[in-house]
Amino acid sequence: MSLSQNTLIEELQNFMDNDMERFQSLGKKIIKDFKRQQRIMEQSDRRQRQEYDQLQEKLLEVEALNHEIEETQKEVVFTMGAIGESRSKETGNHVKRVAGYSKILALAYGMGEAEAEMLKQASPMHDIGKVAIPDAVLNKPGKLNEAEYIIMEQHAQLGYEMLKHSKRPLLLAASTVAYEHHEKYDGTGYPRGIKGENIHIYGRITAIADVFDALGSDRVYKKAWGDERIFDLLRAESGKHFDPELVDLFFDNAEEIISVREAYRDIFE
Amino acid sequence: MKTLTIEASKYTPEIEMNAENNILSIKGKSYPENTFDFYAPVMAWLQEYFAQEDLPKVTLNMDIIYFNSSSSKLFFDLFDLLEEAHEKGKEICINWYYDDENESAEEAGEDFKEDFEGMDFNIIKK
Repeated sequence: MSLSQNTLIEELQNFMDNDMERFQSLGKKIIKDFKRQQRIMEQSDRRQRQEYDQLQEKLLEVEALNHEIEETQKEVVFTMGAIGESRSKETGNHVKRVAGYSKILALAYGMGEAEAEMLKQASPMHDIGKVAIPDAVLNKPGKLNEAEYIIMEQHAQLGYEMLKHSKRPLLLAASTVAYEHHEKYDGTGYPRGIKGENIHIYGRITAIADVFDALGSDRVYKKAWGDERIFDLLRAESGKHFDPELVDLFFDNAEEIISVREAYRDIFE
Repeated sequence: MKTLTIEASKYTPEIEMNAENNILSIKGKSYPENTFDFYAPVMAWLQEYFAQEDLPKVTLNMDIIYFNSSSSKLFFDLFDLLEEAHEKGKEICINWYYDDENESAEEAGEDFKEDFEGMDFNIIKK
């Protein structure tokens, strides 16, 4: 209760033992106060409505902007991945498929939806480092010699260097993927030769997703393998090239993985 | 009399009740947690101030960009106090400032002015 209302009540109580004149002036004050309360209420209602309208408007704007930012980010990241792939004569569909498999494996591994989705968006950049590999090496028909192979392997480190300075979780995830997707579970991979759980889960997932897709596609140096032959290799490399848990999860989810491959099948003229 | 100064906070305005140049000003936002407690020293100061004899012209500058309902009530009370002093012969000028884009501040100013017709109450666009 406001100070003036307290005073009014006090005076009102006083008045009860007093005269008519004071009653009238008090009555006037009270009426005035009631009318004011009414006006304050109307004023505040009006303002509340305005504020709420504005708030809604701003909220919609923020949502639209957020959406725009997310879409832009997805597109940029995807395009970067596609640039990396295009230099090595891969198709844009390869990165889409790897993205799809990665998310399926991430979810199966127990990752939350948000993180799995982030890995899906980051994984297309696994070969971004290839933009810095000379054409003569990158697109050489036939086998690479040892020197060329060393140059080629640099793409993992290069991709990591390109992305590691970012503060965005998505790009940092992409830097990890680029860095570690050629590491092998038994420590015989590159660039660092780290092993087991020391390889980030993003790297382990992208490794199996990338190899599975590469083996099933025609490349400059080889024809696509049949599924059974690929599956045999995945089984044989469980615990060697690949995380055995992920190999199991791969087979548990093979149907869904293959449906992603079908959805993004390469069409050749 | 001593000048009363209260610094602005996130929810409360900057206040200066200057007894030397007789300019009183309340500037900023006003939505304190307890409005009447917050303004109690201001109201007490004003009561003491207007109790003085031979005051020169007093100007109150209000530049409030945002305020809650109880502040609105408080401002009515404050203007009452000024009106009372005015009726006792003190010369008082109230300036209510508002920003061109702040429609509700302008409307509120008009609302107050309407209630204090006998006073020198100016609504001024910044």
